[in-house]
This record gives sequence, structure tokens and C-alpha cells, in this order.
Amino acid sequence: MKDKKIGISLGIVCFILALALTLQIRTMTIENSIVSQTFANDELKDNLLQWKEKYEKAVEQLDSSNKELDVIRKSASTNASNAEQKTAKIKENNMLLGLTNVEGEGVVVELADGKSSSLVLDASNLLIHDGNLREIVNELSNAGAEAIEINGQRIVNSTYITCAGNVILVNGEKISSPCTIKAIGQQERIVRSSRKSRRNITST
Amino acid sequence: MAILTIIIGSVLGILLGFLIPTIPYSVSKYLAIAIVAALDSVFGGIASSIKKNFDLKVFISGFFVNAIIAMLLTYLGQRLNVDIYLAAIIVFVGRMFNNLGIIRRYYLDKISKNFGKGKHK
Repeated sequence: MKDKKIGISLGIVCFILALALTLQIRTMTIENSIVSQTFANDELKDNLLQWKEKYEKAVEQLDSSNKELDVIRKSASTNASNAEQKTAKIKENNMLLGLTNVEGEGVVVELADGKSSSLVLDASNLLIHDGNLREIVNELSNAGAEAIEINGQRIVNSTYITCAGNVILVNGEKISSPCTIKAIGQQERIVRSSRKSRRNITST
Repeated sequence: MAILTIIIGSVLGILLGFLIPTIPYSVSKYLAIAIVAALDSVFGGIASSIKKNFDLKVFISGFFVNAIIAMLLTYLGQRLNVDIYLAAIIVFVGRMFNNLGIIRRYYLDKISKNFGKGKHK
């Protein structure tokens, strides 16, 4: 009876021991760990410390980045108000450069070569010359015209009006009679000013 | 009888050990200590049965209590950052060698007697 008891208890003990051993060996095989526990722990601690360091660095970076972002945001909000002024300026400049279409009241000057007549000795006096156009353009702009064009050629800073043989070149484009000069500006003022002008613009 | 139950128990334990899922790595160190303690108890039990002073209560209580205390000590060592489990391993393995020595001498004696030219140590 006693032997039986001992046998059964030994069997149970061996069962537990074998179970634990098998489990442990399987676990260790899966973990693929051949170093001792202390070494494994040390390695993990090293890793942990490294990661902590990295984390702290990342946090610092985040802080500085946030500060930068704040600065950029502030400057962006101030830029927004500047931007409106800049846009207005650009519009104005574009108009001056002739890059935009201009609408509004203005005057139209039409020029044509004179008809030939036996009374005129010099036939050249009958024709429109580049000088005539220049004078008119100058008069108009002095009178406050904001935008001027000759036969569809916008007069801008770099515009040149020159003569080449029997044609007039405006911006390199050939212009011939009849010429239509359109000027946008205060109508009244332009008309009055051109009337007041002493210059004899044209005699055609 | 005893040998038969030992074999059956071991085989069943190994089979079950392959069937159930593995334990987490952090727990495995406690299990390892428990295994060493249990091995010590088993060898102690065999040695005491050879010396004819085997006590079932002492054996069973030694088996479980030793394993549990070894695990608790390991846990305490972890908390205190001292490798207390080393002390447990030294004690258990030292006793294991003692018991193994007793078992070895017993069987050596037996074999020498059987061959009729034994010399007692």
C-alpha cells in the first residue's frame, strides 16, 4: 500500500518535472537564446537605454521643430497682410508694363495720310511719320493717359516708334495709315490738355 | 511499480509539454529555477529511499515548496537587482551532487556485491 502511494506520487512528480522541462526547453529553443539570462538582460537594458536616448533626442527635436513652426506661422500671418499690398502693387505694375487689359473712359485719335494734291510741293508732308506718332503719344501721356495703344500695339516703357523706309515700326510691328491711337484716362482732361497744347500735332 | 510510474509520468509529461503552448520568455527563468529545485527534490527522494528513510510527506512538500520558494527568491532578486537565484542554484545543484553521490555508491556497492568481489568503501 505504501509502495503504491510512493509510486503514484513519484509518477506525479516525474510528470510535473518532465512537463516543466519540456516546456522550458521548447521555450528556449523558440527564443533561440544561448546566452545566460544575465547577459540577455544586460543586452536588453543596453537596448532600452539606447532607445530612451533616441526618444529624448526625438522629443528635443520635436520641441525645436514646434518652435520653428510657430515662428513660421507668425511670419506667415504677417505675410498675408503684406501679400494684399503686394498683389495690388503687382496689378499696378502689370498695367504699367502693359501685361493686363485696361478698361475705362478714354479718347481715340485717328490719323490718316493726306490726300495727294497738286498744291502740296513736298509729298512727304502728307504722310504720317514716326515723329507724329511720338508727339501724339507724348501729348497723351502728358495729359495723364494711363494706357495707350497704336493699331493694337500697346505703348509701354520699352516701346519704340521708328521709321523704316515707308513704314512705321511700333514695337517692331509695321503700322500704316490709317492709324488709330487709343488712350485710356480722364477723357475731359486729355481733350482739354491736347487743345491747350501749343504744339501743332499734325496738319493732315 | 515505482519505476513504471516514473516512466509513465515522464512520458505523459513530455507529451503534454509538446502539446500545450510555450510560456513567455520572462516567466521561463522562474520555471528554470523551479526545474532545478524539483530535480534536487527527486534526487533527494531517490537517495532517501536508498537510505531507507524515505518520507512521502517530506518528499512531496519538498518538491513543491522548494520550487515555489526558489521562484519567489528569484522574483525577490529581480526586485532587489541581486542574482539570488544563483544562490538557489548553487544550493540545489550542490545537494544534487551529494544525492547523486549517495546513489552512485549504493549501486556501485550492489554491483560489486553481485560480482562477489566487492570492496566496500
